[in-house]
Amino acid sequence: MHKLKPRAHFALFLIFGFLLFLASNRVDELRVYQGASIAVFVIAISSLILLTGYSGQVSLGHGALMAIGAYSATLARNEFQIPIIVTFFIAVLAAAVGGALLGAAAARLSGPYLAGTTLALAIGLPSLANQFSILGGEQGLLFDVGFPPLGLGEDFTQYKWFFWIAALAALISTWLLSNILSSRYGRNWRAGRSNEVAAQICGINTGRSKILAFTISAGIAGLAGALLSMTIGTVSPSAFPLALSFALLTGAVLSGVSTLSGVMIGAVTLVAIPEIADVVAHRIGSSENITTNLPGFIVSALLIVTVLFVPNGPVEQHRARAAKKAAKKKL
Amino acid sequence: MQLLNTILIGITAGSIYSLMAIAFVLVWRSTRVINFAQAGMALLSTYFGYEAVTRIGSFWLALPIAMLGGAIFSALVEVILMRVLVKHSSSGPIAAVAPIIATLGLLGLIRSVIAMIWGGQDLRIPPPVSNNGFTVNGEVLVFSPLKLLILITTLILMALLTLLFQRTNLGLSLRASAYAPEIARLSGIRVGLIRTLGWALAGAAGAVAGVFQTVNGNGNFSPDSIEFSLLLVSGFIAAVIGGLDSLLGAVIGGLFLGLVISFVLIYLNGGLFFIAPFVILLLVLFIRPQGIIGAKVGRRA
Repeated sequence: MHKLKPRAHFALFLIFGFLLFLASNRVDELRVYQGASIAVFVIAISSLILLTGYSGQVSLGHGALMAIGAYSATLARNEFQIPIIVTFFIAVLAAAVGGALLGAAAARLSGPYLAGTTLALAIGLPSLANQFSILGGEQGLLFDVGFPPLGLGEDFTQYKWFFWIAALAALISTWLLSNILSSRYGRNWRAGRSNEVAAQICGINTGRSKILAFTISAGIAGLAGALLSMTIGTVSPSAFPLALSFALLTGAVLSGVSTLSGVMIGAVTLVAIPEIADVVAHRIGSSENITTNLPGFIVSALLIVTVLFVPNGPVEQHRARAAKKAAKKKL
Repeated sequence: MQLLNTILIGITAGSIYSLMAIAFVLVWRSTRVINFAQAGMALLSTYFGYEAVTRIGSFWLALPIAMLGGAIFSALVEVILMRVLVKHSSSGPIAAVAPIIATLGLLGLIRSVIAMIWGGQDLRIPPPVSNNGFTVNGEVLVFSPLKLLILITTLILMALLTLLFQRTNLGLSLRASAYAPEIARLSGIRVGLIRTLGWALAGAAGAVAGVFQTVNGNGNFSPDSIEFSLLLVSGFIAAVIGGLDSLLGAVIGGLFLGLVISFVLIYLNGGLFFIAPFVILLLVLFIRPQGIIGAKVGRRA
């Protein structure tokens, strides 16, 4: 599927990172902040692509897994004053443990059962924050990554610092993920997704392979959760509503769940939707009810339209069309 | 007295979950899809009911109107969305999960359209009879005339549904197209139409569940009501406990779930309200994955 060798991948990611760095110096604060949000969504969506597109499991609970990552990072930071970079690793680990537990249950379920189970988790888990006083209840906890290092210069803003951390994390995690997906594990996942019995006959332990997919995906989601609460500055149950899980699913479907290469499409769309909705609402001069609910409307409508008409995502659609054309030429 | 209270509360809540579970089962039997938008449809029907109550003033006229609205909307969803979906995404990597994603999208769509039309604030359906508990031997129960009415109405509706399925030709067609669509088609049943009818019945059952869930609570509801998220999850879990294929199973599953949640809340900790259903679902899936009255083939969608 991927013709580039891993090392070539790495060079590509380096170049892309450098371009991002140049760009971040040229745009205003709002765009930098949106850039950070895009990076967070890239991470979160890629974790869903791994899970849904590659290993064929649906999760409506990724918002909850992100919450696990965010809370554990915050607790580690606030209670034990752990260096900021280590807290992100803690977020990954904690969410991965949660994902492994969920995955052990998930490996025995399929399709709608798994969706329902993860849905119950997404609704249930955030309410736990009100149960333990250490989690800060409805207000949540402050999560402060600190000021950017002075060495970066005086006009280096807080948002730019967020963007750098998030973009770096996104680059590293996407690079790792694309390598995992083109490795043996990625092939095992796809084999298990396409035909579980055939995969088992080929000697793949599909149960273990599914749990592994869930664990890795949850770990990445946990990282995204920690980064999300970094950009917001706090972590609270209301930051991880069911709508977040739905938005991630929309992003993944828009990106095309079966390939990682479209992940930017989903992430940019999710960040752009509120702004587009704002413009549209102003243009038609609508009431407040419509303005506040337009983003949610657009997200859901996009989700349905994509599933109905481009179920495998625009990238895969384009590839299929190109392949068809090439086949015609040969004839 | 506390024990009696717990049981009665559990049964009332459980009968509402049963209605929701019946909606899930009806849709699952007719199209092999878990309709996650069921809660959205129930919410929409509750708004229909609200409009009827405020205009007509009678709760018992509003309930059938909500049911009719829910049934029509649900049938439209089947015709407009589900048929296209089946036609378009029958192959490819996400064919298996496409219906799930589509119904979720529909859930979000219904929610935001409702919020656009009626706004995000709380609306209220006043309970038709008093929700103050009965007094027995000088002690006030939590069980109230309202809860009794909910229970009775639910039982009547279930009896009607059973009659429809067991005693009429239409019920026979519904059962036939659920178990063997190809053979049903060969014997002259219009399976497509019957499917739509299955969705319509589910919409009606969900409408009752939505209205009752609202009045059984404090009577208030809004597009973001947590009550409806709970209804979605509980109905789904009840259907899974019952085996997803059986109407009787859905009823038993709903009552069982209602009782267990009621005992957990009153005897353990009231804060476990949202996490308890999740734990119960996991336990059920681990201990008896085929459900109480499920088929023996296991959980393959």
